[in-house]
Amino acid sequence: MDSMTEFFTEVQLNYGYLIRPLIVGTLVSIVCSVVGCFIVLRRMSFLADAIAHSMLAGVIGGYLLMKIFYQQDSNLTAMLIGAILSGILTVAMVGFVTKFSRVKQDTAIGIMYTGIFAFSAFFISLESISQYIQIDIYHFIIGDIMAVDNAELWLLAIVASIVLPVVILFYRPLQLTTFDPIMAAAIGVPVLAMEYLLTACTSLVVVSGVQIAGVILVVALIITPAATAYLLTDRLDRMIITSAVVSVLCFWFGFAVAVFLGTEPGATIVVIMTGVFLGGLVLAPKYGLLADWIRKSNTVPQEMMEDVLGCVLRAKGKSVPVTEVLKHIKKPAPRVRKSIIMLERQGLLDVDDDKVLLTDDGRFQAKRLVRAHRLWETYLDRTGTTPKEKIHDTAHRLEHLSDEKTVEYLDDKLGHPVTDPHGSIIPNDSELIVGKDLLLSVLRDGNRATVVKTDEAAAPSSLKVGESITMGPRSDDGEIWAVITSDGKTLSLTHDEVDAVVVRLLEKS
Amino acid sequence: MIADAKNTRDVPAIKVQHLTVSYGPVPALLDVSVEIPQGQLVGIIGPNGSGKSTLMKSMLGFIKPDVGAVEIFGTDVAQVKGRVAYVPQRGSVDWDFPITVREVAAMGRYSYRRWWRDLKREDFRLADEALEKVRMSDFKNRQIGQLSGGQQQRVFMARALAQDADILLLDEPFAGVDAATERAILDVLQETKDAGKTVVVVHHDLGTAAEYFNLIILLKQRLFGFGTPRQVLNQKLLSDVYEGNLKVFAELAKQSGDSLSEDDDADDDDPNGNVEVEHG
Repeated sequence: MDSMTEFFTEVQLNYGYLIRPLIVGTLVSIVCSVVGCFIVLRRMSFLADAIAHSMLAGVIGGYLLMKIFYQQDSNLTAMLIGAILSGILTVAMVGFVTKFSRVKQDTAIGIMYTGIFAFSAFFISLESISQYIQIDIYHFIIGDIMAVDNAELWLLAIVASIVLPVVILFYRPLQLTTFDPIMAAAIGVPVLAMEYLLTACTSLVVVSGVQIAGVILVVALIITPAATAYLLTDRLDRMIITSAVVSVLCFWFGFAVAVFLGTEPGATIVVIMTGVFLGGLVLAPKYGLLADWIRKSNTVPQEMMEDVLGCVLRAKGKSVPVTEVLKHIKKPAPRVRKSIIMLERQGLLDVDDDKVLLTDDGRFQAKRLVRAHRLWETYLDRTGTTPKEKIHDTAHRLEHLSDEKTVEYLDDKLGHPVTDPHGSIIPNDSELIVGKDLLLSVLRDGNRATVVKTDEAAAPSSLKVGESITMGPRSDDGEIWAVITSDGKTLSLTHDEVDAVVVRLLEKS
Repeated sequence: MIADAKNTRDVPAIKVQHLTVSYGPVPALLDVSVEIPQGQLVGIIGPNGSGKSTLMKSMLGFIKPDVGAVEIFGTDVAQVKGRVAYVPQRGSVDWDFPITVREVAAMGRYSYRRWWRDLKREDFRLADEALEKVRMSDFKNRQIGQLSGGQQQRVFMARALAQDADILLLDEPFAGVDAATERAILDVLQETKDAGKTVVVVHHDLGTAAEYFNLIILLKQRLFGFGTPRQVLNQKLLSDVYEGNLKVFAELAKQSGDSLSEDDDADDDDPNGNVEVEHG
């Protein structure tokens, strides 16, 4: 027992000076990081930074006031009130400049805080003033957690006991005004008042944070843990708790490192926080870069699935062994297997005993692709944009641009071709649906239909609404349509003429 | 007319009187007065920058007008709390915000609880019900950024339903959603209207306006027309509001009957205008 007491006494003697900074730092880390969550979400980081810098003016103002009128040195309360007032003044001036000039907010913030900071520095370096001032500017800029005295400890306790209950009590209004201020206004939440409240909290938090990290680094205490938590969570309440935990752990670790290495504590803590943020950026389970990379490499690209469909279609209704598919598609086998599984899940493929077979949906999709591929080939061939030997490969890439509008455009532009440059039929089963209204131009040899609508351009065809027709074979390189009327006459029509007639498909062949 | 008739059917749902709003030297809205009766499905139509969203934000009490007033069921909008639900434009939402689908829907219940109180189990039940109605129950615990455009739109519809307000305001709900979602939203709007509620929608597509709404507000800074689609969507008013653009289209349509462009559905109401079938 004696040795225990001895041990504690010894600890107290050697490390007692560390206890106060440790308590202060823990407290400050918590309040800063909690308010920081709202600052990050509202994109107010730069404003927090501005408040920190302009505090100098308030601190000096409060100091001078007490010194000159009451002969008091370093009255902390006055300096604190001065700091908060200057913070609010900065925000007001930024708001004023943004509202009444064409200068945007970021520039307004930049001008105002540097201006106020510079003014304070200029002012205290005036000889007539500097004789009154014994403020350690260096302390203010870098922060000195080791030098915290009891008065400052009290101050921080008060700040924390104001800010934390405010955030808890006003959690919902703060969340709503941050997320959707318009709805907040509609249900009677005072949006502007909440903004002032948050600004006041920010000022308080900045003032407390300056004790640890100084004006330059204080903003890191506020936003870095909050941003780390932002990467780790999907809910605001969890983000706030995570932010506080990250912040406190970083502080303890940074503090210990600073004590052992004898480095500047503020800077050390911020270095640790930044490191943790970067770690989170890479490793975060959902929004991290690594997770993103893994997700990307795990998803099967649409193109590969389409290639598999095309490959199975070529078997003409027979089932194909998976090994055969793997042989045809020159991509890593595990991913091809994965795309087969995905296709099965989408109901496009039946997989049975290591053999795959197209379902009806699958066949439909595959034909759509073949259609796109062959239309693209025809397009590339006719426009002459691509050397002959590359047409197939280019079309193979382009066939994945197979949305309805694109394909329809190509088909119309090319005059609804029946065959591609290699003479293969361009399937249009996906177009020809019995009972559907179509343009006469898309019908193929043998299709029967009734005329539903015509317009002026169709006049030469003399087709009447209600008339049934049968499509005959195309002639003149596919540029003349042969339409057989119900009384057996054959009309030869041009592209424009057939495009001017809408028909309802009755029968396919 | 009757002072104490706040909830009778005669009081207009929304009464806008001489509303002028400005952001700079040019007014966004100038002397707009309109009375929207209860139980209507109303579209606010106008070109880009015509003050449609500003009018909507004024109806929500988010914008303080320079002159004029907005009354909701006869009460000044600043005094009205929670009787108006709002579905924001998709582009104006921060989709990275740490919030789940269920939490957004539950926001609809905020106006029923004092601000410092927690939501009750009942509130989450109602939020879940609203999500069920828009078929989003399966996505309850997703973060809102991980949804498709149509699903995102439906989450905010659920929030509005959970709020169970008398008036529903939607800002461009049909922008960038697929046909199925458009249909689904329209069905919910129709149901809401049939339940006796008032629905106001900011909408930019002239072509579908007549089909979707039974009253139309035609707006460009000033109020150009308010009435049924047939009254409002006439050539003269439209060419006043859309200036040159539409005139050119109309001319084109008359000269050559075959080159109507897709968005020129403006003169669908024109009895002489044949509907063209255009391929592609």
